[in-house]
Amino acid sequence: MTKLAGTRDGVPLIDGIDKVTGRARYTADLDHRGAFVGRILRSPCSHAQILRVDVERARRLPGVVAILTGEDCRVPYGVLPIAMNEYPLARGKVRYRGEPVAAVAAIDAETAARALSLIEFEVRELPAYYEADQARAADAVRIHDDKPGNLEREVHHTFGDVAAGFATADLVREEVIDCAEVNHAQIEPHAALAEFDPSTGRLTMQSVSQVTFYLHMMLARCLEMDESRIRVIKPFVGGGFGARVEVLNFELVTAMLARAAGGKVSMELSREETFITHRARPQTRIRVKLGLGRDGRLRACECEVVQRGGAYAGYGVITILYAGSLLHGLYDLPAVKYDGYRVYANLPPCGAMRGHGSVDTRHAFEVLLDRMARELGLDPFEVRRRNLLHAPTRTLNELAINSYGLAECLDRVEAASGWRTRRGRLPRGKGLGMACSHYVSGAAKPIHWTGEPHAVVNVKVDWDGSVTAFTGAADIGQGSSTMVAIAVAETLGLPIEQVRVIAADSATTPKDNGAYSSRITFMVGNAAIDAARRLRRLLTEAAARRLERDPADIDCADGRFRSLSAAGREISFGEAVKAALVDQGTLTVKGTFTCPPDAQGGKHRGGAVGSTMGFSYAAQVVEVSVDEDTGRISVDRVWVALDCGFAINPLAVRGQIEGAVWMGMGQALMEETRYLDGMPAHASFLEYRMPTSLDSPPIDAQIVESIDPNGPFGAKEASEGALASFAPALVAAIADAIGVDLDVLPATPDRVLDAVVARRRRERLDALAGGGR
Amino acid sequence: MTAPLPLPRVRVIRPATVEAAIAARAECPQHEVLAGGTDLLVNLRRGLLAPTVLIDITGIAELEEIRTTGDRTRIGALVRLARLAEDPAIASRHAALHAAAASVAAPGHRRLGTVGGNLCLQTRCIYFNQSAWWRAANGACLKSGGEVCHVAPEGERCHAAFSGDLAPALIALDAEIEIAGPGGRRRVACADLYHEEGRAHLRLAADELVTAIEVPASAARSGYLKERIRRSFDFPLAGVAIACRTEGGRLNALRISVTGTNSRPLLIDGTAALLGRRVDESVLTAAEKLVAKQVRPMRTTLFPANHRRSIAAALTRRLLGALAAPAAAEVGAPPTEAP
Amino acid sequence: MFESGPVPGKRLVRIRVNGRWREDAVADDQLLVDYLRETAGLTGTKTGCDGGECGACTVLVDDEPVPSCLTLAVRCEGRSVETIEGLGAGGRLHRLQRAFHEKLGAQCGYCTPGMIMAAEGLLRRRPDPSEAEIREALAGNLCRCTGYVKIVESVRAAVEAGA
Ligand SMILES: Cc1cc2nc3c(=O)[nH]c(=O)nc-3n(C[C@H](O)[C@H](O)[C@H](O)COP(=O)(O)OP(=O)(O)OC[C@H]3O[C@@H](n4cnc5c(N)ncnc54)[C@H](O)[C@@H]3O)c2cc1C
Ligand code: SF4
Ligand code: FES
Ligand code: FES
Repeated sequence: MTKLAGTRDGVPLIDGIDKVTGRARYTADLDHRGAFVGRILRSPCSHAQILRVDVERARRLPGVVAILTGEDCRVPYGVLPIAMNEYPLARGKVRYRGEPVAAVAAIDAETAARALSLIEFEVRELPAYYEADQARAADAVRIHDDKPGNLEREVHHTFGDVAAGFATADLVREEVIDCAEVNHAQIEPHAALAEFDPSTGRLTMQSVSQVTFYLHMMLARCLEMDESRIRVIKPFVGGGFGARVEVLNFELVTAMLARAAGGKVSMELSREETFITHRARPQTRIRVKLGLGRDGRLRACECEVVQRGGAYAGYGVITILYAGSLLHGLYDLPAVKYDGYRVYANLPPCGAMRGHGSVDTRHAFEVLLDRMARELGLDPFEVRRRNLLHAPTRTLNELAINSYGLAECLDRVEAASGWRTRRGRLPRGKGLGMACSHYVSGAAKPIHWTGEPHAVVNVKVDWDGSVTAFTGAADIGQGSSTMVAIAVAETLGLPIEQVRVIAADSATTPKDNGAYSSRITFMVGNAAIDAARRLRRLLTEAAARRLERDPADIDCADGRFRSLSAAGREISFGEAVKAALVDQGTLTVKGTFTCPPDAQGGKHRGGAVGSTMGFSYAAQVVEVSVDEDTGRISVDRVWVALDCGFAINPLAVRGQIEGAVWMGMGQALMEETRYLDGMPAHASFLEYRMPTSLDSPPIDAQIVESIDPNGPFGAKEASEGALASFAPALVAAIADAIGVDLDVLPATPDRVLDAVVARRRRERLDALAGGGR
Repeated sequence: MTAPLPLPRVRVIRPATVEAAIAARAECPQHEVLAGGTDLLVNLRRGLLAPTVLIDITGIAELEEIRTTGDRTRIGALVRLARLAEDPAIASRHAALHAAAASVAAPGHRRLGTVGGNLCLQTRCIYFNQSAWWRAANGACLKSGGEVCHVAPEGERCHAAFSGDLAPALIALDAEIEIAGPGGRRRVACADLYHEEGRAHLRLAADELVTAIEVPASAARSGYLKERIRRSFDFPLAGVAIACRTEGGRLNALRISVTGTNSRPLLIDGTAALLGRRVDESVLTAAEKLVAKQVRPMRTTLFPANHRRSIAAALTRRLLGALAAPAAAEVGAPPTEAP
Repeated sequence: MFESGPVPGKRLVRIRVNGRWREDAVADDQLLVDYLRETAGLTGTKTGCDGGECGACTVLVDDEPVPSCLTLAVRCEGRSVETIEGLGAGGRLHRLQRAFHEKLGAQCGYCTPGMIMAAEGLLRRRPDPSEAEIREALAGNLCRCTGYVKIVESVRAAVEAGA
């Protein structure tokens, strides 16, 4: 690993120049010549029986080329094979305001908009539920007929002897914490471009997807087409964060319109529609109870989570399972009881978002741990240190821990933030707080179990000496193509410039499950190394033949193949390639990666969720200023350390850590999706407030390298693990600053003011009580 | 053109003089005046207004002037907010106006947005500033041509909140607004430009135009404080402007104005009672109470109305305290861009 | 003064785009961003919102960074408009482009053109800005990927690299 060791600053992204010059083409920038314009009619009601969708007047409008309703959608879709309960356009019922009910393609946007206004939509309204409690009420009408109590899934897992754990604890406390629903809010609005060629029956789809393979599969399913007639290409994608890890209704609708129109259809959603498409982190209520010994050791944990999942299943089952299974894996927990409820409501469907499933429960856990440490007079760092795991180990729920850098993360941020000298010594209104978090490096068990490897990468080398890696993995800005280039270049001893990466085009690249659960570096990285090693072996053998040495005597480095024993006997990479091509021609090798079955989690129902080959670990310290009169919170600084196993590209790793911390800050401080009787009241960047450059602190990001035994070069994930510790660190810092314990996120001025008022009331009562004594 | 939410079809005319603009206003039945466009174009795309003609007034050179004559600063209606925010003379003479201009929206909006547009800004409401789909699905309200107000269904009026930042500063500074109409020009005190009615908050005839503001020089210290959730890109939850003067440590002039809480920028009554007193805790509390009593925030924002009131009060206390302190610098100015 | 064209009619508008004068038939209601992307074919300028709320569409009009979705194309008659495609000459990267590339100021890259144009507007007015001035100048440009850390670093690096 000579080269990686020599470039510890990291390298810029291989597609970075396209981005900074404006040459990069995102979906809306593709060649739209000759494309019809697609538009979607959305339901005005929250919950209703559809009586009539009459498109006749719209169909007669000159310039309308295709028009579709739920009648044209015979096959349901959904990301989980066990929970496909959604149609591209609503059939029978609508379940949330904004749900697509019809779609048109027309010669221009004006005609498409006119056509939508001519569609008659008649319904019989049903009671609608916007809160989990209402939806779960005994007399609530079912949103889905097969789901009594409007429960998508309940989970009950107990590991260890929880009662005994609480019995031996010196302090047992319980809190109820509420986290608002949030959204990915990637800056690129949703868009798709589909082209159907009636003469060949082929469909070409370009879209903002993070999961081109799922899209491919789902298109075939919903359009009832032969998979081999479909090609899915991923252009540049302007951010994902989970928004695009399942196939979205507008993608299917665009393709269906293209087929109906027999041509090319472009669909661009407004920002409002992009918000309505949603699939993000649900509103969550967490009741958490911990038992702690005076020594700071965790004795037991009990946690109940209720997620308001929205109107369709989506990833819901996975989210509610993650929320429980990732209680494990961060600390040494002797007993855990988890009860999770994923509830339907008449709101846009939730889904996966950065830190999928883990963020809100981690928040509640850390917040309570911090308060209990305070009660016991223990330092928050100390309490964490008393509960560290020791790798290799397995958690109670059978998650494999192969590397564990949390202790070092703690040391680093404690030192960097000056915790020991500054904590408790800041002026009133200023405070420090800390917390920890972790995340998986790829789900060890894929959703669609086919028996195939978890990742495949092809590497081609040709007469010109160029090396091209083909991966289905979707680079959505996280830098995955650059990671593949580095992995291949490093293994072949080449400069990164010599490796080209072709990504995410189903016609040329091998299938890949996509950019989710932080799987790419671990899985695709390993597959890329495997492919490059195979190629290196072929080239080494060819070089050995040419040099008339034994292959074992040949070293491959710095673009040359050298004899180890005979100094001076060497050939260049290009010459080795030429030698290898004799009798063979162009070489293409394949590398794969498969997670061994023993990494795939416990045997209990849902036990695969949370299982991974490696967890990333993070600790962070947040410094705040609180204005008690206006409730305003300013984040002054953040120190964070992340154990990513090994930083293949330190520049990109830092960028990911900063982005994750900052996204955690947005959720903690100001972001929230809100509905007024089911109408999205947040569906703009003015109402869905993400922090601006003036709200964003400097972030001191440090990389900890625990060298995972199975990771590519020892690497694990780096882009999700640091998110979940921001919010609890912030809440702890607020408590440190003004003595107020916040039980709700986000910490907007009104909530802070409410908590300040409550504290003042309490202080007055205490003073009265004290005075009476 | 494939992008969603295009502008509706309109014709744009661009008069070169105030008189031509007034004449055009009188002639075109369905029109809107376009200045910087940072408010109007967004509203048009959401279908909040449906003009067939836009009268673009940015060709009227006269309205771009800033002129200081004797003890007054005259600022044309087309002066950009960025210019006010960067002008050191404005900063030293009319600190509240300077701070208010620098706090509007984000830098790009301030380069396009004008003084006149900011004063004539549409009132805002969470049920109104939405797409056409949204408003149709939710049912129209009074302001969008319906029968009922979703914020206060039992009432008869619209409570959409005036959320411009300049008006309170100008009211505190006792500025006058110059208005041109077919009959010539007239002036009103800034507070008198507004009504407490969210549907028609401007006291401006259909053929009138705001042409300038005139700010008197004064020995008063002034400032503007605005609270918002983000430090940029955000309308005020509440904004408070104060101009005050002390002599021998005692207040002898005090004007307080608040934005974001009512359908108009509010001039706070009853400040005269505080004159002659030292600005101590009791005066601060009294000023805070005056504001808390008079502002009427309604549920027009997702942010709870009661807290908009308490924030307005807290800002009042803070700003008055700072202005009355011996070494008051410019208060409330966010970091402004260098010229 | 604009001629009052017939209702959905267009008028000929002369705009200097990235240093070259163009003359196009432009509808009164065309936004500058749509003119750039559709009429001029310059898709480097992005849109991220339904109007005025993200800054992805920022371009320079007479050296000043403004959101191109908040102004009409006809208003740019006789003016100079610069987009991301206009930076850098003869295939060489402009110093901001190089810095954003090397310092990872662009992750997904979607906010990047607007961000770079806002930064360029700042550097033309203020060749050696402080960090606070950089943050202020970029306060109308949302980024969802970077937390702005490497964006601010990129602008600083461009300043240090000199013109
Ligand atoms: C994301 C975003 C955030 C914003 N944040 C703020 C904020 O924090 N504070 C704030 O105050 N504003 C804010 N605004 C609104 C707006 O940008 C400013 O108020 C700006 O000053 C408006 O000026 P303009 O010239 O662009 O107005 P225009 O959009 O051109 O006009 C606004 C209204 O005034 C009328 N008008 C304009 N000039 C005249 C005149 N001379 N006589 C009569 N009528 C006239 C127009 O017909 C129109 O109804 C924000 C806007 C956006 C999009
Ligand atoms: S206050 Fe009432 S009438 Fe006015 S805009 Fe809001 S809902 Fe409509
Ligand atoms: S596209 Fe968002 S501000 Fe212009
Ligand atoms: S780099 Fe993705 S939005 Fe800024």
